[in-house]
Order: sequence, then C-alpha cells, then structure tokens
Amino acid sequence: MLNIKGEKYKDITAKFIFKKLITEYSFILSFVLLIVIAGIVNKNFFTWTNISNIFIQSSMIGLIAMGMSMVISAGEIDISVGSQVALIGGFGILVLNLTGSALLMILFCAVFGLFVGTINGLLITKGGMPSMIATMAMMGAARSIINHFGSGGPFTVSKELFGSFRLLAVGGVPLWGNVKIPYLMIIFVIVAIIFDIIMKQTKLGKHIYAVGSNETSARLSGVNVDLIKILVFAITGLMCGLAAVIYASRLTAVAAASAAVGYEMETIAAVAIGGTAMSGGRGKILGTFMGVLMFKMISNILTAADVSTFLNGAISGAIIVIAVLMQNYQNRKKI
Amino acid sequence: MLVEMKGITKEFGPVRALDNVDFKIDTGEIVGLVGENGAGKTTLMNILTGTYTATNGDVFIDGKKVQISNIRVANQYGIRFIRQELNLCNDLRVFENMFLADEIKNKYGLLNKKEMIKQSEMVFKRMNVRIDPESIMRDLQAAEKQLVEIAKALLFKCELIIMDEPTTALSTHEIEDLFKIMRLLVEEGVSFIYISHKMPELFDICEKYYVLRDGKLVSQGEFEDIDENDITEMMIGRYLLDEKFSQHTNSSREEVAISVKNLSGRGFHNISFDVQKGEVIAITGLQGSGRDEIADALFGEEAFSGQLIVGGKQIKPGSNIRKFMKRGIGLVPRMRKERGIHNDLSIYDNINMAYLNTKFKNILISNKKVHSRYINHKEALDIRAGSPRNPITSLSGGNQQKVILGKWLETDADILLFDNPTQGIDVGTKFEIYHLIADLAVEGKAIIVFSPEFPEIYKVADRCIVLYKGTINAVLGREELTEKNIMYYSTGANLEVENA
Repeated sequence: MLNIKGEKYKDITAKFIFKKLITEYSFILSFVLLIVIAGIVNKNFFTWTNISNIFIQSSMIGLIAMGMSMVISAGEIDISVGSQVALIGGFGILVLNLTGSALLMILFCAVFGLFVGTINGLLITKGGMPSMIATMAMMGAARSIINHFGSGGPFTVSKELFGSFRLLAVGGVPLWGNVKIPYLMIIFVIVAIIFDIIMKQTKLGKHIYAVGSNETSARLSGVNVDLIKILVFAITGLMCGLAAVIYASRLTAVAAASAAVGYEMETIAAVAIGGTAMSGGRGKILGTFMGVLMFKMISNILTAADVSTFLNGAISGAIIVIAVLMQNYQNRKKI
Repeated sequence: MLVEMKGITKEFGPVRALDNVDFKIDTGEIVGLVGENGAGKTTLMNILTGTYTATNGDVFIDGKKVQISNIRVANQYGIRFIRQELNLCNDLRVFENMFLADEIKNKYGLLNKKEMIKQSEMVFKRMNVRIDPESIMRDLQAAEKQLVEIAKALLFKCELIIMDEPTTALSTHEIEDLFKIMRLLVEEGVSFIYISHKMPELFDICEKYYVLRDGKLVSQGEFEDIDENDITEMMIGRYLLDEKFSQHTNSSREEVAISVKNLSGRGFHNISFDVQKGEVIAITGLQGSGRDEIADALFGEEAFSGQLIVGGKQIKPGSNIRKFMKRGIGLVPRMRKERGIHNDLSIYDNINMAYLNTKFKNILISNKKVHSRYINHKEALDIRAGSPRNPITSLSGGNQQKVILGKWLETDADILLFDNPTQGIDVGTKFEIYHLIADLAVEGKAIIVFSPEFPEIYKVADRCIVLYKGTINAVLGREELTEKNIMYYSTGANLEVENA
C-alpha cells in the first residue's frame, strides 16, 4: 500500500502484523487450532465431502450470523431469529405450494423478513425498548403465530414441487467428475463477502460501528442513529428470510413448534467466537464467518467423540461464556 | 486525627500524575487544595481514600503508617470523599441513602427502619438542618443533597471530609449555610479538605492552602499571607498567565456568520447574540445556567424555539443535526470520553465520521483518500499519533481533542462550537488548543467557546457572554474581562443588589 506521496506506510511491519494477529485477529489462531484438532479426531476431515458438508450445515446459521454481527456491532441483540425463521419459513411454504414458484417464495420470504426485522427496529428505536425485551416479545409472538396457523404441526412442501425445490439444498455447480461446489456454500461465501465489504468499506458499516461504540458521539457527528438501528434489524430479518428458504429446501418442511429452535444461541455463539465485542463497536465479518465454521466443527468433533446432541445447547452456552470472558480479559489487560 | 501523606507519586503508564507530593491535615482544620484541572488534586484524594494505590509514598494517621486499599478501609479510618457528582440513589429515601451498604438490621436480619430514621434525624439535628429522612432523594434540592452526603459522613463518625467542588450547583445563600455547618463541625474536631476553583470561597472558609501544578506541590501556607493574584499565579504560573491568544484584531469582521435571536428552550430563554467571521466569543456561566443546553441547541441536539440564522439563512427549529452540519457548524463536545470519541474505533474512523455524513457521495470508501485527508489535518493540527489505524484511545486527551477538531475541518465547517474543550487536558496541550482557536479565527472562522474556566476565556475570547439562570446577564468586552466580573455576573450578584 502506498500513500499519496508514494511512500510506504511505515506502520505495517512484521511486529505490527503479529500484534494484530494476537489482539484483533485471534480468531484466526483458534480457527487454525480447531482445524488441526478436527483433522486429528476425524480422519475424513480433509475430504471435499466433509468440508462441503460443513459449509452446507453452516449456511443457515451463517447467513443469520452475518445480520447478527451487524446487530451486535451496533450494540444491540436480536434473540428472535429462530422464531423468525420458523414464521417466515412456514408461510413461505404456503406461498410455494400456492403459487408453485420458488422465485415468488424467495421474494416473499425476503420481504417478510425485512418487515419483521423492521418491526423489531421500530420497537427498539421509536418505542424506546431495550432490544433484549423487544426481540423477546417478537420471539414469543412469531413462534405462537406460526404454531397457530400450523396447528402446531409442520408445513410441508407439496409432492410435485418436492424434487425441484430440494435442488437448492442438495445441488451444486459441477467442478470435475462427481465433485461439485454446493449452492449453499456459494451463497454463504458470497453473502459473507458482501457483508465484509459493507462493514469495512461503506458508510453504513462505519456508522454501525460508530453507533455501537458510542451512540452520543455518533449522533453528534450527524449519524442517524435510529435509522442505523432499524436497518441492522431489518437486514437481520432479511437474512432470517433467506435462511428460512434454505431451511424449507433442506428439510422440505417447517415444523411450527420446533423449527430453528435455539438458532439465536448458535448465531450469537458464532459471532462471539468470531471476536465481535458483545458491547458493540468492534468486530469483523471474517471473524463471524470463521466463527460459524468453528461452531459447526466443534459440534462435528463432539459428534465424532460420541457426545449426545442434546448437549448442543450447553455447548453453545459454554462457547459464548468462554469467548466473552476471553474478550473481557483482553480488554482489562489493555487498561 | 492527624493525616499525613509523604512523598506520594502516582504514575499512569508513562504519565506521572503526581510527583513526590507531601500533604498534611490536623484535627479541626480546613485545608484548601487548589490547582488547575488535571493538576492532580482528585488523584491525590483518590489515593487517600483508596481508589488508587500510590506508585510511591506512604500515608500516616496519627503518626502510624497505614495501608488504605479501598474506600471501605478509608471509611473505617474516618475519611470520606464527597465527590463532585454526588454518590446518591435518587429513587431511594434519604435515610436509605445514608445507610446504603451499612444498613442497621434487627435480630431477625431484617432492616431496622425505625433506628435508621432516628439516627438520621439526630445527625440532621446536630448539623442544624431540616431534612425529612423519609423523603425521596429526587425531591431534594441540590444543596440538600450535598448536606445529606455530609450527614452520611458524620453518621459514621467521620473525622476527615473531602469535598470536591461542593458549591458548583449552589446559590450564594446556600453556600453561606454550608459554610456555617462546616464551621460548626470544625468546632467539634472534624476536619475538611476543600477542593475548589472559586477564590472568594477558599479565602472565606479555608485556613491553609496547598497548590498543585502538573502533579507537583508548588506551594503551601496560610491564606492570611497571600491574595487571590498570588494563588492564581501559583496555579497557572506567571509566564502563562500573561499570554493572550486573541491578537486577531483584524478589521475584516463585517460579515455576521451566525446570528441568534430570542433562542429559548429547556433551561435557557431569550438568548440573542451575533458572531462575526473571525471572532471568538465565550459563553460562560455556572453549572445549571443553561450553558450546556445552549451549546447543544446551536447544534440541533437540544430542542429550541426562536431564530437561528447562519450565513443569512435560517435553520428551522427541529432540524436534525446533519442540517446543522451541512450549514457549516461543527461541535467539539464537552465530556470528550462520553460524547466526543468512539473509543473502539481507529483514528481514521474517528476523524472521518462527520465527513461521511456531509460530503461523502460514493458507495465505497477509499482508504487512500481517507489517508490523504488525515495527513493534511495531522500536519495542520499537529496531531501526535503513531499509526492512524490504532484506536483513538492510544492518544493523549489533547490529541484526541485535536482529532475531533480535525473531524470538523474535514467538513469545512466555518462556525465552530467548542464546548468545554480543554476538560481533563494537560496544560501544555491546552495552550496548543488555544493557539489553534486563535489561528482558526484568523482564517475567518466564527468561534464560540463554552467554558466555565476564566483563564481559558481570558486567553481566547474577544467577548464573553455571562449567563445566569438561563438568560444573558452580561456581555463583557475584552477590557472588562476579569475573573471578578465573571464571578459577579454568573452568580447573579448584580441582580441580588437590585432586589435588595
């Protein structure tokens, strides 16, 4: 990198990079460590099937975690994401069965997601509610509405659409022979890149960090704090909508009562191990991206080690606690 | 009780906040501790009350060396610190506040309300004040809250009370009452360390003085032997006192940059004044005089009615802050840490924040352009920083303030509001900021400095508006600018004479 005078930036030295790696990019170290452990535990870890599986399994949580990264960077939290997926997915399947068009369904889910997210945002900004409370209300309401319309049972993709609609989840772009890059992997990576650009290189991204770091200072610099908060929740809603499409495609059904339960824990855990500060203002999309993959790798390792899947919640809880404790420890050292 | 501090040194990282300071106070004494902001007064008191541990030096009580490791220990030794921001819970009752964390319990482990109320009443009687222990804290006057803090100290047999700027929110009468109570308690053997900037009060209530400057004890003695000028000189240093920065008496001052007519809002009413291009005016007043609110109103952060005309065109009340920014107003806010900086963000992002909201038109931010803008202002403002990618908190307070100023230079603001700009900044950097203000005025910017500190006003202002209870009480020209005048008008002393 060169500055205007053509001189090299003096500050990018090996020492600088090392310091950054330890302080700001420590998630890369944990990511590498985890890959080594996973490679040792699981002999098939480095096969393409396994790796693409991890991406496929991560894609839903991954999309939502991108939105959650924004919400947490803005100093807020959204615990309604699981219920949103169930609500949007349930109605989305109804739309699919009714119209027979996957495109219409995707459009519906996206708009519906934006709508639900915007309501969250409005409650928090215009209604002055703490985000924990507003999204908790949304969590309960969304789940209850979809339970009501599904009478507690599942929404199922109709038989004739089944085959084609499932392609989204199982299909991919052929690379050579039998090897193909799954669509979900492509979607996840592209969305992550877009979010990374937004957070690093656009006004919106800078404003999100500014609001999360210090709302008053942000307002006094002319940032429209309310708009930024509404936007981050709306974008999270949009991501929930897209995740709902993927959910419906992978399972070809959305069970009203149990679909996407616990997603809020998993996404928050992924964001936390990705190094995003729970207090807002600091965080990286690359961190969240790796965080999501790490989360899946951890549960894969545990499955390989015969740990009960019932313990998933305990594991996400433990991950959040450990990640945040480590952040706090680092911050304390700085002072 | 004889309290002595010997050779106290305190270092925060590379910064030496206190350097080998000796301090002594005996039974029934009132000692005035004076010095500019950042001179180390509060740090010294924080060490005495266990909030900080000294890097070097010892504390002795009645000749015995003691270790005061936290506030509870200090309280056990009978030392209480009444801070400027009172430590009270507004939603609790008076007696609950007084016994907070030291509640009296009955034999079942439940609260003994009756006993607590009785003891509170006894203390108030001893102080000769009338406060109902059962009233809610919120309903009390500022002066009464101050008294509750003192009562709380007495309740626990406190022998040394430290008061940090206790009179900022009090009226003249309330101050007199407070002094009466203090004298009463001194008779009983209680001693006070009194921290204040207000000379008349210090000379009124204190016997001895200690002057700190840049963390060093520069002088000590009896107030009898000195006058106000002596002590100001000791605080600031003579060489600095005489320096004036407002030399920009050029004649190009015909154009009005900002005109305020009948501005009213929460805490201020009927404020009218003009500021011309190249002029620096100061607006001062005690806490609660409306100074903060006017600063916020001129930037759209506080609702107002009336006319605000910038560059010949009105800014309508209720416009959002971006509107004010686009019309060329910039604000360097008071309380830098809480309202000025984003401490998680880099220097780049901090200095760039206002530019993004006014001038930035593209989709993607170019790091190259951010850098070239930064380099320009870094040189103009003499910002001393390492890598601009580092968080802004890696800078000293003064340099952080320069970054915030740079933020407004990026938007080409031509009206700059400085709201208490040198709060918590070391003396050296303070003067750099005064120089910058003077330079900006010469460039033709209109500047309004909101400040409670006379030395600061004296150094930069061409004119000074003095507020009293939300209205303009006086406008002082350059030749009328004295600390005495400002004190006289900001306490509303002229109005009291008229009323009497």
